[in-house]
Amino acid sequence: MSNESAPIDLRGDRGFQDLRERIYQVAFLACAVISVLATVGIVLSLAVPAVGFFQNVSLGEFLLGTQFSPAIRPKVFGVLPLVFGTLVITAGAAAVALPFGLLTATYLAEYASAGRRAVLKPMLEVLAGVPTVVYGYFALVYVTPLLNAIPGLELGTFNALSASIIMGVMIIPMVSSISEDAMSAVPDSLREASYGLGATKFDVSTGVVIPSAASGIASSFVLALSRAIGETMIVVVAAGQTARFPGSVPELLTSFFKSTQTMTSAIIQLGLSDLSGGTTAYRALFAIGLTLFVMTLVLNVISDLLVQHYQEDYD
Amino acid sequence: MATGTERQGTDGTAAFGGVSRLRGVVFQYVTFAASLFGILSLAVLLGYVFWDAFGLETAESAWYATMVVTVVLPVAGFLLYARRNPLAGRTALELAATATGGVLSGFALVVVLEVIAGSGLWFAYFLAVGVPLGALYLYGRRVEASWTGLAVLGVLVAGPVAGTVLLGPLSRIGGVLGGPGVYYLSVIAPTALVARHVVDGYLDGPNGNYVALATLVVPILAVPAVDTVAVLSRSVWLLFFPTLVVPFSIVAGRNLAAPGRRVGVVGPLAFALGVGLLAVVPDLLGITGPSPWFDWQYVTSAPSQTAEQAGLYPAIIGSIFMIVLVALLTLVLGVGAALYLEEYAPSSGPAGAVTQLIRINISNLAGVPSVVYGILGLAVFANTLQFGFGTVITAAFTLSLLILPIVIISAREAIRSVPDSLREASYGMGATRWQTIKNVIMPRAIPGILTGTILALGRAIGETAPLIMIGVATTKFSPPSGLFGKMTAMPMQVFTWSSYPSEAFQHGVVAAGVVTLLIVLLTMNSVAILLRNEFERGDY
Repeated sequence: MSNESAPIDLRGDRGFQDLRERIYQVAFLACAVISVLATVGIVLSLAVPAVGFFQNVSLGEFLLGTQFSPAIRPKVFGVLPLVFGTLVITAGAAAVALPFGLLTATYLAEYASAGRRAVLKPMLEVLAGVPTVVYGYFALVYVTPLLNAIPGLELGTFNALSASIIMGVMIIPMVSSISEDAMSAVPDSLREASYGLGATKFDVSTGVVIPSAASGIASSFVLALSRAIGETMIVVVAAGQTARFPGSVPELLTSFFKSTQTMTSAIIQLGLSDLSGGTTAYRALFAIGLTLFVMTLVLNVISDLLVQHYQEDYD
Repeated sequence: MATGTERQGTDGTAAFGGVSRLRGVVFQYVTFAASLFGILSLAVLLGYVFWDAFGLETAESAWYATMVVTVVLPVAGFLLYARRNPLAGRTALELAATATGGVLSGFALVVVLEVIAGSGLWFAYFLAVGVPLGALYLYGRRVEASWTGLAVLGVLVAGPVAGTVLLGPLSRIGGVLGGPGVYYLSVIAPTALVARHVVDGYLDGPNGNYVALATLVVPILAVPAVDTVAVLSRSVWLLFFPTLVVPFSIVAGRNLAAPGRRVGVVGPLAFALGVGLLAVVPDLLGITGPSPWFDWQYVTSAPSQTAEQAGLYPAIIGSIFMIVLVALLTLVLGVGAALYLEEYAPSSGPAGAVTQLIRINISNLAGVPSVVYGILGLAVFANTLQFGFGTVITAAFTLSLLILPIVIISAREAIRSVPDSLREASYGMGATRWQTIKNVIMPRAIPGILTGTILALGRAIGETAPLIMIGVATTKFSPPSGLFGKMTAMPMQVFTWSSYPSEAFQHGVVAAGVVTLLIVLLTMNSVAILLRNEFERGDY
C-alpha cells in the first residue's frame, strides 16, 4: 500500500508543493525582516521626539551645555555633564575589566590545561549572566561600605567608584572571551617559529601571541567600552543621580567618590518621573537616548571592523 | 645604577634560562590569579547575599556544627569522589538540574494555567488550537501528505480566532470536566505523546510505548495518595506531573540502568536527606537556627511597607507570565529568521546584499543598550499600538525584541552545525527544502536552539531598565489579571526595594529577592548547559 502511494506523492500535486514551499519561505523571510523593523523602530522612536526636543532647545545648547537640570528652574538641558559622568564610570570599569580580561584571556589561551579551561570558562560566563540590578545592589550595599573601611577614603552612599568597579567585574568575561578567540586564532606556526628561535613561553605569549592578536583584543576592548556606556541598572542603583561637570582638575579626580549621573541613569530618571509626555523634559529623554544609541553604535561598528581585520589575517 | 645594570647583564648571560623561567612562572601565576579575580569577587558577594537572605547571623554555632555534619561533609565527600569518577558527578548534576528545573517549570505551568488563565479559558483555546494541531501532527506522521504543514499554519491563525468567538460554549465544556479533567486531557495526554517521541527518537533505553502508558496511568493511580496531602490539589499534581515527575523518572531510570552512573544518585540523595535532617534535628535539640528572610511566606505574599510581611508573589507571577510569552515569541520568530538566513537566503547578487544587510543589522542590534529597547517599547508598543503602559503584553514584546538578536545568532549556529552531507543526502532523495528542514535539520538543531534560547531568556528575566521605561509599576500588590493587565517583575521589585533606606530592607528583603532571582537564573542556566551536554555529543 505504502509502496504504491509513495511515488504518486512525489510526482503528484507539484504545483501545490511549490505553493507550500513559497509560503514557508515568505513566512521565514517575514521573521528575518522583523529584525530590520526593530532597527527602523528604534531609530524612529528616538528621532521623532528628539526632533520635537530640538525645536525648543538648540543643538548647540544640548551638545555643548555644561549644566543638566530638567526639573528645577531654570531648566537647562546640556548633555555634557551626563557624557562626563558616563566617561567617569566607563573609565573606572575599563580600568578593572581591560587588564583582568586580557590576563584572563592570556591564561585561557596559552597556559590553562583543558580541564581548567572547562571549569573556568563557564564560571566566567556566570559573571556576565547575573542581572545588572543585582550587581547594582551589590555595589550599593556591600562594595561601598567595604571601600569606606579603607582609611582615608570617604565615599558617599551613592558613588561612581563602587559602581564602576562592579561594572568592570561584570565586563571581564566579554573582554576575555573575544580576546581569547583572537589569541587562539593565532596560528601555531608563529608560536613554533618563536620557540625555534629560543624564545620562552613568556616571550611567545607577550611578544608574539598578544601582538598578533592585537586587532581582536582591541575589538574586545571597544566592545567592552560600548557595553559600559550603555549599562544602566548598576549606575541607577549605586551611582546616584547628580549630574556634575568638573570645573577644575581636582574636581575631576574627586568625581569618582561622589554621586554621578550618566546618560542611561538620566533616561531612567526622566522615564520614572514623567511618562505622560509632551514636556521638553520628557523629550530630552529621547535626545539623550539618541546620543547614547549613536555612541554605542559607532563603537560596535568599530569593534566589528577590527574583528573582521583579524579574521582576514589568519583565515 | 651602573652596578644594577651590570649585575643584570651578568646574571642574564650566566643563567639565561633561570631568570626568564622565574619571570615566566610569575607571569603564569599572575594570569591565573587574574582569571580567578572576577569569579572570586562574585563568590564573595554571593556569600554576603546568601548570608543576609537566610539570616544566618542569628544561628548558634551548634547549628553550624549540625549543618557541617548533615550537609557540608556528605556533599564535600561526594564532590571529592566525583573528581575521581566524573560519570557519577554528571549523574548527580543531571538529577539535580532535572529536579529543580521540573519544580520551576511546574510552578510556571501552574501560574499560567491555574492562576492567570483558569482551566475553563485554557481548555477553550486548547480545543480550538491544540486539538487540531495534535490531530494534524498525528495524521502527518502516518501519511506523508503535503498539505498538513499548511493546515498547521491555518490552525495557528484561525484557531485563536475561533477560540475567542466560541469562548462561552467551549469553556463550558471545561467547566463540566472540572480542573483535573481538563488538565488530564490537555496536559497529561499530550505529554504522553511527547514522552514517547523523545524516548524513541533521542534516547536509547526503554520502549517509548511503555513510557507513554505509564504517563497516562500513573497520575490516576496516584490520586488517592495526592488527596492525603493538603497543599497539593489534584490540578496542581497533574500540572507538576509532566514537568517534574516524568522527566525526573526518565533521567533517574536511565542513570540507574547504567552501571557506571548508578553511584551518582547518592549525591543528590545525600543532599536532600541532609537538608531534611538540618530542618528537623536542631529543633529537637533546642538549637537556635537562622531566621531566613527567604522563606515560604516571602514567596507567597504581596509587597509591604513592613519588612517582616513583605513578599515577592505578584512579581514572581508577573515575571513567569512575561517570560512564557517571551519564550513563545522569540522561539517562533528567532528560529524562523535563523532558518531563512541559513537555508533560504541567497548569498550573492543584489538579494545577497540584502541578506548581508540583515546579518549585519542583527549583530548590531545585539549591541544596543537595553534602555534603548525600553524607549522603543515605550514609543511603539505602549504609545503607538496602545498596548498600555506597564502591561504584560507590552513588556513581553519589548523584551522579545531585546533578546531576539541573541536567539537568532545562537539558532543560526545550531542550524549551521548540521553537516551539509545530511542536507545533500536529503535533497538527493528528492526532498524539498521544507521537507529537509522539517525532517533533517530541525531534529538535529533543536537541542542547540533550545540551549541558546534558554540562556537568552535568562537575560530577559533579569532585565530591569526596559521595564522601567515602559512604565512597569514599581510596586504592585496583586498579580497581573491578563495579557493587558498591569504587572511587575522580580528585578523591578528588587530595584524598588533597594532604594528603601531601612536596614531590614537593605540587608533582608532585597537580599531575599536577589536570591530568588538567582535561583531561577541558575536553574535555567544549568538546564541549558545540561541540554547542550546531553545532545551535543558529536554523532557526526
